[in-house]
Amino acid sequence: MNRMNGPDGRKGPHPMPGTWITTRAWLLMLPLLVVMIAVIGWPLVDTVRLSFTDAKLVGTAGGFVALDNYAKLLGGASFQRALITTTWFAVVSVAAEMVLGVLAALLLNQQFRGRTALRALMILPWALPTVVNATLWRLIYNPEYGALNAALTQLGLIDSYRSWLGEPGSALTALIVADCWKNFPLVALIALAALQAVPRDITAAALVDGAGPFNRFRYVIMPYLAGPLLVALVLRTIEAFKVFDIIWVMTRGGPANSTRTLSILVYQEAFSFQRAGSGASLALIVTLLVTLLAVAYAALLRKAAGAS
Amino acid sequence: MSALEIRDIHKRYGEVETLRGIDIALEGGEFLVLLGSSGCGKSTLLNIIAGLAEPSGGDVLIGERSILGLHPKDRDIAMVFQSYALYPNMSVARNIGFGLEMRKVPAAERERAVRDTARLLQIENLLDRKPSQLSGGQRQRVAIGRALVRDPQVFLFDEPLSNLDAKLRMEMRTELKRLHQMLKTTVVYVTHDQIEAMTLATRIAVMRDGRIEQLGTPEEIYDRPATLYVAGFVGSPPMNILDAEVVGNALRLVGSEETLPLPADFTSTAAAGRRVKVGIRPEALRLANTDTPGASVRAQVEVVELTGPELVTTAKLGEQTITACLPPRTRFGAGSQQLFSFDEAVLHLFDPESGRSLRPV
Ligand SMILES: Nc1ncnc2c1ncn2[C@@H]1O[C@H](COP(=O)(O)OP(=O)(O)OP(=O)(O)O)[C@@H](O)[C@H]1O
Ligand SMILES: [Mg+2]
Repeated sequence: MNRMNGPDGRKGPHPMPGTWITTRAWLLMLPLLVVMIAVIGWPLVDTVRLSFTDAKLVGTAGGFVALDNYAKLLGGASFQRALITTTWFAVVSVAAEMVLGVLAALLLNQQFRGRTALRALMILPWALPTVVNATLWRLIYNPEYGALNAALTQLGLIDSYRSWLGEPGSALTALIVADCWKNFPLVALIALAALQAVPRDITAAALVDGAGPFNRFRYVIMPYLAGPLLVALVLRTIEAFKVFDIIWVMTRGGPANSTRTLSILVYQEAFSFQRAGSGASLALIVTLLVTLLAVAYAALLRKAAGAS
Repeated sequence: MSALEIRDIHKRYGEVETLRGIDIALEGGEFLVLLGSSGCGKSTLLNIIAGLAEPSGGDVLIGERSILGLHPKDRDIAMVFQSYALYPNMSVARNIGFGLEMRKVPAAERERAVRDTARLLQIENLLDRKPSQLSGGQRQRVAIGRALVRDPQVFLFDEPLSNLDAKLRMEMRTELKRLHQMLKTTVVYVTHDQIEAMTLATRIAVMRDGRIEQLGTPEEIYDRPATLYVAGFVGSPPMNILDAEVVGNALRLVGSEETLPLPADFTSTAAAGRRVKVGIRPEALRLANTDTPGASVRAQVEVVELTGPELVTTAKLGEQTITACLPPRTRFGAGSQQLFSFDEAVLHLFDPESGRSLRPV
């Protein structure tokens, strides 16, 4: 904030033009900074304050309880289980999205009739709002008239209809499938763009050198894919770790909390159980975890950029 | 037995016919240059030989065996690309050895082959580097090394020198010639640089619009161009082409009082009264005075340019323009009248409609 008034800039070694440009830049950013501080900065500070109290959502403002909330949460079974659920969800769905996305990109990079149409069609799941996608998959998984039950019984793979979202054993997997279907197109799109950047001469050279499809992919194509895929990986992991909407629409964290991820837990803590203080500390823990992920990935990206 | 035979190759992309019947037969050890302007189908033909494109008709044989339908790796060819096409993530050594690696050649043998090739190309000290750490000329050597190491029946080069600067291009040209003289492998080499074609080739195929305009040794292409196109394409500055009419035993230049002798070679094909195009190379013209023997024309000098080794002179012959390459010491001013002499044997006559040479075969 000091900088905006520009005293340090004016005393700099090159007084005139640079200073004015810097000052003007800050002036131009001022409105945005004010808005950002109002909508992000202040709530964050207030959340930190709340997390040290036993405030309820309505009623009491709560008293100061120091680190009690954190201690209870970190030691409690709900948090630990939600952390495992979230990690599992993120790792499996992102891994599947990466594999599916790359395979789809490789396919769509081939010459065939209807390729353009198929490329456009593929983006569709990703373009759908999550709520629509989630509702769609709820219909597919529906225990009475869902398409999945019909398909599997007709194929003879199961002999009676199952409640895919209603059984703790299958609900999380069902969610992962739905999430993959929505998000693999993003990976495919990024991979496709990278594939198109592979020079044709290089693939031709690999053909003449006698590299088969697998070796061509591994030694010749993959180096071009690695960077962009790493970016996709970062984006998708962080998003998957924060997942809320698709689960909320499909299972609300059930059955028997088998799909309760950290974000769902935060919501339940703060709004269902109305424990604002404890909810705030949980939210901060999740924020911290995601930040750690982001920082780790940023380092990874920097390393990859340096290597190439 | 021909080492490489191309029989009536056609290639169409949708409506357009890019190659319209190409026939070439090469003896082992020949250096064939495909010469032609951009878009005439040189790369397409090379890709068909390599197996990177399928022809719409015709056949390609290596050592009497059809290679159509064979995978590029099974054709016993190696290719050098214009963009070098080195694998950016691999070291120079691995780039060179990749073809052998894919063919499951044992590591020790592979390493020896890579080392030998690197020595041949004088890039031994670069083996551990990545392509991004090399200069253009070094990259080109690596690309050539990658082809050499495989010891194939036929080398294919697609404009390998076009990304290099003039000086390096000359060095690499000499280098390629040296390598070919040493290895004696059959080469098909694409370029649109006529100097490269003249210096490297044992035979040149001048291509135009998907056809071969003329196939012959560099001397044949230069001394006896079969068409106006070939005549204009090979040589720098290009051959002078003048409009003329056959009058008795002479050629009267259109729009001028000057006449040229009708060379003995053409008396059977150039009937009196016939319109012809007369070709004469700028380097075949000399500066003369009135008592110099042989044929000569008088022209009005318009522009004189000293390029260093020669003096390029542009002069007016009535309405037509003629260019002469003269020794650099010659001194005269623009605007002066000069007499240019030549042997009648250097004249080329072409049919103005078909563009074909009137030289009897
Ligand atoms: N894959 C393709 N699809 C459609 N047309 C093509 C394809 N490849 C080449 N062509 C066409 O065929 C013609 C010849 O192309 P080619 O690349 O063989 O030319 P070239 O003689 O190598 O030219 P340059 O000197 O510019 O490399 C061009 O008109 C080009 O547009
Ligand atoms: Mg080409």
